[in-house]
Amino acid sequence: MTISEKSKKTIDSCRFCWMCHHICPVGNATGQERNTARARALALSLVNRDALEFSDDIINNLYECTLCGGCTNDCVTGWDPIVFIKEARTEAAMNGKSPKYITKMIDALEATGNVYGIKKLDSELSKEISLLPKSNTLLFLGMDARTKVPSAAINAIKALKKSGVEFTALADEPNSGWAMDTLVGATEETRQTMLKAASVINNYKTVIVFDPSDAKSFIHEYKEWGIKIKAEVKTFTAVCAKALADGKLKLAKSNTIYTFQDPALLVREVGESEEPRQIIEACGELKEMFLNRKGTMFAGNLLMTEYLEDTMKLIAAKRWEDASRTGANVLVTACCSEYAVLNMVKPENMELKTIEQIIVEA
Amino acid sequence: MQMNDFMMNMILSELEDAVGRENCSTRPIDKLAHSVDYFWLSRMWVDRGGRMPEADIVVSPKDATETSKVLKIANYYKIPVTTWGAGGGTQGGALPVAGGILLDTKRMNKIHEINIEGMYIECGTGSIYKHIELAANEIGYSTMHFPSSLCCSTVGGFLAHRGIGVVSTKYGKIDDMVLQMEVVLPNGDIINTSSAPKHAAGPDLNEIFIGSEGTLGIITKAQMRIFVQPEERRFRAFLFKDMTGAFTASRELLQKFKPSVMRLYDPAETSSLIKKIIGVERDGAFMNIAIEGVSELVEVEEKILLDTFKKYGAEDLGSEYGEKWWKEKLTFFYPGNMMDIPQMFGTMDTIAPYDKIEKIYWAMKEAIETNFPQAIFIAHFSHWYEWGAMVYDRFIVDNPPQDPEEAMRLHNAIWSCGVRTALANGGVVNDHHGVGIKLGRLMKEQYGPAMQVFEGLKKELDPNGIMNPYKLGL
Repeated sequence: MTISEKSKKTIDSCRFCWMCHHICPVGNATGQERNTARARALALSLVNRDALEFSDDIINNLYECTLCGGCTNDCVTGWDPIVFIKEARTEAAMNGKSPKYITKMIDALEATGNVYGIKKLDSELSKEISLLPKSNTLLFLGMDARTKVPSAAINAIKALKKSGVEFTALADEPNSGWAMDTLVGATEETRQTMLKAASVINNYKTVIVFDPSDAKSFIHEYKEWGIKIKAEVKTFTAVCAKALADGKLKLAKSNTIYTFQDPALLVREVGESEEPRQIIEACGELKEMFLNRKGTMFAGNLLMTEYLEDTMKLIAAKRWEDASRTGANVLVTACCSEYAVLNMVKPENMELKTIEQIIVEA
Repeated sequence: MQMNDFMMNMILSELEDAVGRENCSTRPIDKLAHSVDYFWLSRMWVDRGGRMPEADIVVSPKDATETSKVLKIANYYKIPVTTWGAGGGTQGGALPVAGGILLDTKRMNKIHEINIEGMYIECGTGSIYKHIELAANEIGYSTMHFPSSLCCSTVGGFLAHRGIGVVSTKYGKIDDMVLQMEVVLPNGDIINTSSAPKHAAGPDLNEIFIGSEGTLGIITKAQMRIFVQPEERRFRAFLFKDMTGAFTASRELLQKFKPSVMRLYDPAETSSLIKKIIGVERDGAFMNIAIEGVSELVEVEEKILLDTFKKYGAEDLGSEYGEKWWKEKLTFFYPGNMMDIPQMFGTMDTIAPYDKIEKIYWAMKEAIETNFPQAIFIAHFSHWYEWGAMVYDRFIVDNPPQDPEEAMRLHNAIWSCGVRTALANGGVVNDHHGVGIKLGRLMKEQYGPAMQVFEGLKKELDPNGIMNPYKLGL
């Protein structure tokens, strides 16, 4: 395998370390030993020693990882399994070994701008976007909200309007590159996708990023590629929280008891945990799940639902167990993709809402 | 039975019927992931590019009923069954060395009941212990079981090899922390042990299965005790000139009250690991004590501790080092801080009464250093009772042979030498890491004719010998 020295060192450290066993959402939900950083590292260490073929089975196992960063966050000595998992995915792609379910999504991404192959924007969302004025502030809605959860995108627009923010959105928004980076890592195709997005974004002074996955890419991967974003990048939740603090966003507090699912990428990669809480606490009472903030447990995403739907449902169901123990009535998410998966297995005795939804409703 | 593709697929379809197709795997990655545990030999073997023995089929039952079905199938076809928790064991106890079925318990990870009045959490034994601790913390309690493997081992794993945590002196070992257990016998029968331990209704069934390492049955559910969080936990570190003073002081202290943490490091470990992680740069034997509980009692106990240890010449290092140790108690075990390949290492923990434990330490140190001059010997004493203590003695070889067979030979020779020395001086094969395949050969040396009790149980409960073959010397 042609992977970096950093990856090789990480593989050789992680292969015999069990310390993050408890934190992997996939491992905990499925109960499968292969869904651990150490199992993947063990297999890749044997591939590196020519004792094992870089087989379809090993590659499939690489795609069972959510890249949520739970293991990385938990490692006190600073090892980052995501580095070698992404590099190994790249290695598979470079050698034409990507699984069919991955190449199918890449093809769809290249053809339609989203991994789901959805060609047409939701009509109601399209109408909402068309009504927005021109502005030097762009709301970047992201692939999942635009294609799979348009109600979240519409509520995001309404919530920003309620916050007194002047902004626009694009009918033909480019893909941020997060999906390509997730599917095949740092390939030329990923770089080109990001360059294309940057050329659009750089026409604006400020970009409000709705999806934490896109925010993570703009903040981290673009830097790694040396792709400059001149526009100031802000998260949707940070903008709304600021409007709330400035008195521009007025929210009516109710007796509702909420609990909050920290999106893994928002809290671990963007470093944002308190802004969503400020919004929720303005709407009602917040009861924390035990694993919260940087220690959050990932609750699923739509991209992986394309090929691991049952696993995503198991992960979401596990998180619902945590949520129900808090005694809250409503679980709030700040990631529309996570919302969509949680909604697939929502228990009858609890409600599920997005953060933009509670802003609009409060 | 002669295994061939046809029969393999017949058995596979029966197992799929028992646990669901998605929970029954012949994927190479599943077999590989279960072929290496924390046992140094398994790690060395794959580090050198070798492959460890693998199971033929990996199954993940969700409960006792599915486990029962698996064992009935295995018994009919006489297929070995090795039980796997999370693979954090050091003795090779979970390795499927005879092939056959690997039964992973981690789908049995449900928290069935949190019973505050009864002071226990009932859970599936595939639960990672850290999750049980988190569930206890959520309601303001704690399991008080904090081994270094807290995050990477299951409830069943700890029960299977009689594990222990760092606050054991006050709260006890895993066998003190369990109330009732559900066990699937090798014939598939599902039984429950008595509704409470400490009874006089015959021998305690719990004690037959705790420490049996999957050779007599599979524990599928357990009620694990929870404790009220202490109002206060205070630390105090000391430096003894020699270990004899530390032993005498500790024995006397334990006649007065029980601290939670008691850890005495020999001069070699004080000048290596403690220096590196805690920052104590002094000669002597470092000792860390924690006292916890109701604040008023903690106050009194701390005074007793200081008075007692002063009498034996201990230098009081204050609370800072102890607090740092508590904060870092799991940090020791992350890659970069812990011994790792290419080093060869092992922990030969043993236990004995006070009249023997120091003698065992010196005898083992001399035996290892004399017979294996390439080995470094370090030790600490981390679990204490009114009557004795355990020694956690380690050997480290920085440059073991590259040839895997030579490395195995040296590894096993050091182990045999160390454990036989412990046995000769009144110790036991192991204190809390278990026996596994690593030390099975030494069980008969410890027990002599008493081994027939275990063998009789094995023969009666598992007449086909399918349960975790070659482990525990059975």
